[in-house]
Amino acid sequence: MSEFWNPYAPPDARRRRLLAVGTVLTLLLLWSAVAASGLVSPTKLPAPWQVLSAFAYLAWNDGDSLLLTATLWSAGRLLVAGALVIAIGIPIGIVMGAAPQVNAALSPLVDPFRSAPVVALLPILVMWMGIGEAMKIAFLFIGAVVYLIPMVRDAIQAVPQSYWIGARDLGATPWECIRNAVVPMAMPRIADAVIVAFSVMWTYITVAEYVNAREGLGQLIQNARRFSAWDQVFAGIIVIIALALATYQWMLWLKRRLYPWETQQ
Amino acid sequence: MNAPLPAAQPTTPDKHLLSVLVRDIVQEYPADGGGLTRVIDRVSLTFDKPGINMLLGPSGCGKSTLLHMLGGVRPLGVKTPTSGSVLIDGVECTGAHDDSVMVFQRYANRPDLSVFDNIAFPFRLKLWKSRVAEGEWRQRVGDMLKAVGLSDKAGLRPAQLSGGQNQRVALARALVLRPRILLMDEPFGALDAQTREEMQRLLIELYRSWPCLVVFVTHDVTEALVLGDRVIVLSSQPARVADDFEVGEPRPRSAEWQRSRAAQALEERILNQLHASPGKGQVRVTL
Repeated sequence: MSEFWNPYAPPDARRRRLLAVGTVLTLLLLWSAVAASGLVSPTKLPAPWQVLSAFAYLAWNDGDSLLLTATLWSAGRLLVAGALVIAIGIPIGIVMGAAPQVNAALSPLVDPFRSAPVVALLPILVMWMGIGEAMKIAFLFIGAVVYLIPMVRDAIQAVPQSYWIGARDLGATPWECIRNAVVPMAMPRIADAVIVAFSVMWTYITVAEYVNAREGLGQLIQNARRFSAWDQVFAGIIVIIALALATYQWMLWLKRRLYPWETQQ
Repeated sequence: MNAPLPAAQPTTPDKHLLSVLVRDIVQEYPADGGGLTRVIDRVSLTFDKPGINMLLGPSGCGKSTLLHMLGGVRPLGVKTPTSGSVLIDGVECTGAHDDSVMVFQRYANRPDLSVFDNIAFPFRLKLWKSRVAEGEWRQRVGDMLKAVGLSDKAGLRPAQLSGGQNQRVALARALVLRPRILLMDEPFGALDAQTREEMQRLLIELYRSWPCLVVFVTHDVTEALVLGDRVIVLSSQPARVADDFEVGEPRPRSAEWQRSRAAQALEERILNQLHASPGKGQVRVTL
């Protein structure tokens, strides 16, 4: 048993799991109690079992899985946008971090967007790109890349100068110092940036699929809302949260596999 | 004990070409609150043969700054040196020099690479890739691993090594290039006393197999006397050459020698020189 007021002595894994499951179960119980008491109209707050049956309906009905189809569409858009974020955002972030003059030139374009209302860009994107797939991908891309680029830049700048000096002393060209000494040392934090980018994209997926989506989880939720099927709306939201969490956990696992030395430093 | 460094071509650095001339070096930095602080004041030195040269001075006296001018990486944003020049084989040296390699106090080993890959790191760079064939450098890395006693740790990462072992990796990475000039910036300063002595013995052995021009910065009087063929004493800031003498005693220098009257006299001579130039820096005596 660890001390209660001691941030340096966390409880063991079993106890942590117990506490976490306890919270979720308590919440579910409260939710069930409120729904069963009849205090809140089921049109405003569907009961957990209603959400569960909506989930079952979405997962399998009439030889078809609406949920699976929607998930595949959303995940597909996310993957395409994510690939673009990685392929374009990481090089830009590395160059900004490695070359202060590029940083000075580009930061007025990049930094303000971190606090910009990206959602408000959606109508502009629709105006420019129409209502097809390109607009949705572009929206996800912009939403995530504005977080990723500054994080990658900061990751590069956080690498201790000693690695740069050490490589330079051994005769490395400036670019070799960046490629062979600085970037490898920044990789764990760059991986963190990618993880954040994917989390951000999962939160934006419903917005991206708000306009004229015929498929996708966002569309599924939109559609259910239109018919006031709140149990399906809840089920859809929970699925998105679960997928985002699974993505996060998997990427974190992958990062630890790829850069096991980070925690040993 | 460590195996001697196996012979390879060339077996020794080219003695005939070696010459490092430090001419009238002055270094000034912008001081807090305007003006300039002079850290090095008209230092001239000549190095014209292999040997272990100790740059001894109080902490913060500018000896590292001077060391970095001998073919190391110079700080950015400040003109280095302010005036004067360093000539290596008659050619003015203005930055990192191919013939000189530096070992730092913070060993700068890459945490993501194995011991082997850390030592082999220079051969990933164009400069060394074009000069040394892969078969040759693999052989050299293997030999260096043996020479520093880390053959059985080749696959480990730096985090799995002790501080002394990490410094062995750094030393191996420098010597694997067979440099004519080895610059050492208080390399053993962060180690405990026992490990420091081990590293000093290792350096003596490595030097015997690869007698290059070693310039070794320290603020430890004992270290200077245990290692140095020549001891250059720098005064506290601004650094001037306060004394410059040779130590004839062959290495390794026994504990008896360190307690001998000759050694005591040298130590006193150094401390007197340093006390004659009072400043805020400190020297250390570990005898």
